[in-house]
Amino acid sequence: MISVQHFPVIAVMGLFLCAFLVEIFGAKNKFIRNTIVLIAAAGAFALIASLIKPVLLNGEIISYWMGNWEPVSGYAIGIGYEIDALNMFFALLVVTTILLAAIYSIKYMARDHHLGHYYTLFLMLSGSVLGLVLTGDIFNMFVMIEIMTFASVALTAFRNNKFGALEAGFKYLIIGSIGSSMTLAGIALLYAQCHTLNMAQISAALTNSLTPTTVLAFALMFAGFGVKSYIVPFHAPAAEAYMTAPTSISMVFSGMVNKAGVYGMIRLVYVIFRAMDLAPLQLILATFGTVTMFIGVTMALAQHDFKRLLAFHSISQIGYVITAIGLGTVLGLEAGLFHAMNHTLFKGLLFLTAGAVLYAAGTTDLDKLGGLSKKMPKTTVCFLIGAFSISGLPPFNGFASKWMIYQATYEKAATTGNFAYAFVTIVALVVSVMTLASFIKVTQAVFFGQLPENLKDVREVPLLMRVPMWIMSVLCVLSGVFYNVVEKYLLTPAANAAFNVTNYIDKMMGDGTAAAAGVTNITVDGATLSLWNPILWLVLFAIVLIAVCIVVLTGENTRGRVLAKTENDSEDGKYATFFGGEKSTHSHVAGSDLFWGFKHDFKGYFKFIQGMHSGVVSDYALWAVVATALIVVLMFVFVH
Amino acid sequence: MIIVNYVVAVLLLVLGLYAVCTQKNLIKVVLGLGIIDYGINLLIVSVGFNDGGTAPIFTISDLLNGISSNFFVDPVPQALTLTSIVIGACVDAMALALVIMIYRKYKTVNADEVRRIRG
Amino acid sequence: MKFKNGITEKNVIMKCGADMMLPFAVVFGIYIILFGTVSPGGGFQGGVMVAAAAVLLYLAYGYNTAKNAINTEVLRVGEACGATMYVILGLCGLFVGANFCRNIFFDNGAVGDLISAGTITFMGYSVGFKVLTGVGFLLLLMMSLLAPDSDEEEEEE
Repeated sequence: MISVQHFPVIAVMGLFLCAFLVEIFGAKNKFIRNTIVLIAAAGAFALIASLIKPVLLNGEIISYWMGNWEPVSGYAIGIGYEIDALNMFFALLVVTTILLAAIYSIKYMARDHHLGHYYTLFLMLSGSVLGLVLTGDIFNMFVMIEIMTFASVALTAFRNNKFGALEAGFKYLIIGSIGSSMTLAGIALLYAQCHTLNMAQISAALTNSLTPTTVLAFALMFAGFGVKSYIVPFHAPAAEAYMTAPTSISMVFSGMVNKAGVYGMIRLVYVIFRAMDLAPLQLILATFGTVTMFIGVTMALAQHDFKRLLAFHSISQIGYVITAIGLGTVLGLEAGLFHAMNHTLFKGLLFLTAGAVLYAAGTTDLDKLGGLSKKMPKTTVCFLIGAFSISGLPPFNGFASKWMIYQATYEKAATTGNFAYAFVTIVALVVSVMTLASFIKVTQAVFFGQLPENLKDVREVPLLMRVPMWIMSVLCVLSGVFYNVVEKYLLTPAANAAFNVTNYIDKMMGDGTAAAAGVTNITVDGATLSLWNPILWLVLFAIVLIAVCIVVLTGENTRGRVLAKTENDSEDGKYATFFGGEKSTHSHVAGSDLFWGFKHDFKGYFKFIQGMHSGVVSDYALWAVVATALIVVLMFVFVH
Repeated sequence: MIIVNYVVAVLLLVLGLYAVCTQKNLIKVVLGLGIIDYGINLLIVSVGFNDGGTAPIFTISDLLNGISSNFFVDPVPQALTLTSIVIGACVDAMALALVIMIYRKYKTVNADEVRRIRG
Repeated sequence: MKFKNGITEKNVIMKCGADMMLPFAVVFGIYIILFGTVSPGGGFQGGVMVAAAAVLLYLAYGYNTAKNAINTEVLRVGEACGATMYVILGLCGLFVGANFCRNIFFDNGAVGDLISAGTITFMGYSVGFKVLTGVGFLLLLMMSLLAPDSDEEEEEE
């Protein structure tokens, strides 16, 4: 029988094999295509789930050399897969997202053509991200990043008669290629110094010798993984790609693809270079994270398209994760990983509801939607659970992870005496409030309010599209209420694995290698969480919800309906009551601009930020190059 | 260690980045992307050079005669470069296909006019 | 898009040149694929050379002849078949208890023979086949976007 150590390779290669089989057999026949896709997704999920017991619960590390090419006299000559708790954490996120997206897209994409190509690209994307998080060889990671970029670009431009899909795909390709080229240059320089491509051996070889070449390699790879995880100067193509891709793919992008960038950055900074105990590096990462958080949420407040707004919120939440990872403490890393997991769950749920609205109503423009809660009640409930999670309301999971992030940054400020970290906590709190404001606006604009005339006959979406939404809502609630269980079984092994580098090196290259090279672990204290009781909050939430329902259902409905009385412009009739009866041709208060006073007060800032997102590909490339240059200079000055 | 190779590789990288950042015609942007890839391939191949070495193919009799450490050049960067050339060819093909479709829909290849999504 | 007459006109020099070079291109490309493990070259390089034969056909005879001579359905399915063969050859090692991509045919010949390197010989053949069909399909697709209209104008005269 095939033993457990072969399972990761079979999972990755199985996904690729099924992608090619869909191309051969599934071009015309719908039933064979759906069967192959579901078997591939379910098979990968089962294989990775069966690795939970040995790796996460018992604490083993699986090390696997392809072709049985074992290391010879201390040098690794083959490609190796190494699975420890950090890899398992991300692999579980990846396979869950693949399975739910596969179930959702069977019904969602049923009206499109060329579905054979869609499923081939989808399975190639899944296989490449799974290979990225499981591998232990740095060039293999680069090849998987490239496959991921190609598949993402082709899927973004898939519906090529949709508004702006082709230009979004082109911009994504250019900026993504620049990032990959930076990573490749870094890998070449690292090979020139260490003469090996295995991450464990590089980590042992870099122990006390940081030459200028390796510092340059570190800066280039940091910029490359930053492009893949969409932190602020590299975030513009991501916002457009999430908007124009088919929604089941947007969910995969925001759930898996930027987690791959975050995983690469953790491996680079914690394991290969072991540089996380340098205070300037922690400050650099915290700065990038804070700027990302803030710009993401302020751009989101000004959007008129549902999916582009969700894309900017996604960028802002990744800012939270990078800030928490950059703190360099065990509690910070645990908070960052928990927020990454919760982000996959609640952001996936929000994108799935956006897809349901698009499928039913045919548009995602916030000015044209309204009042959909009467026609699609189940979708509304799922959306409300997602919106409460992302804003950080207790007892949902967003609150638990944001609470850990606040505690981690505040403790860091207390232990190091650096006031900048307290400022980071304040910015995180403000951004959380603005997230809540933005989602109140979206809820009012899409689900409550007045139903337009042309949406009178929308219906609820089919069952196969509702099942993934329900599963994700239940997971959101459970991981918020039972956060102790999540922390004990998933987060603590993963965070400890990132800090325990000697174990990583020894399992891969043979015992005693780490000690011979002089590698020592960074000593960190364990994490103690602050106490709060989620069950009481759940009870309080349920009581308030019941009270609201009683008041709404038994009160009188005295809301009037605004009729359009002018002949020319039926939209102006809505605002005639605001402007004293005079018909105005330019109305600055649209139906979705709930916080227009706030935006009017800060209009200098908003005009500057929206002007910077000009849509020209050369501008976005210029930001990327300037940011890379800045990172190189900073690393040379501080990390020397 | 050949200095000229490294200097030219960095020069190509900088020229390619300059072309991507400042040119307005989308086809020139794609050409700049290709130049970046060629510069990095030159860098990778130059890393593996050994003075006085031959191609890394040998027979058993060569091994039995005893070899010095400069017998042949490092074969690993050559494999990396092959992979990178293939990836570069695929990126160029996909970018040019997107440019063809953009020309059909937008009727222009000027980057200042291909910007319907902004703000 | 308009083209000068030089490309799609049936020019005698181009036809003779293509008649001579086409078999040479195909045979030399297949030689490079087959001897991939004993001489420089391999799957990707040989595959691109064979696919260049499609461009030669287009330059000499025009798009319609090139499209009728090559069956795009076979190219599309053949590409996926080449990739499937590669993965299956890699998974062969699992059945004998070794890891993925294990060399399991290694007792065949002396160094320097054609079939002597084990599994990687056959993997090279499947990569060559995949690149041949894939790049050929890609080139045909790009050529179909370029000049179908002016070809039909020519034939109506």
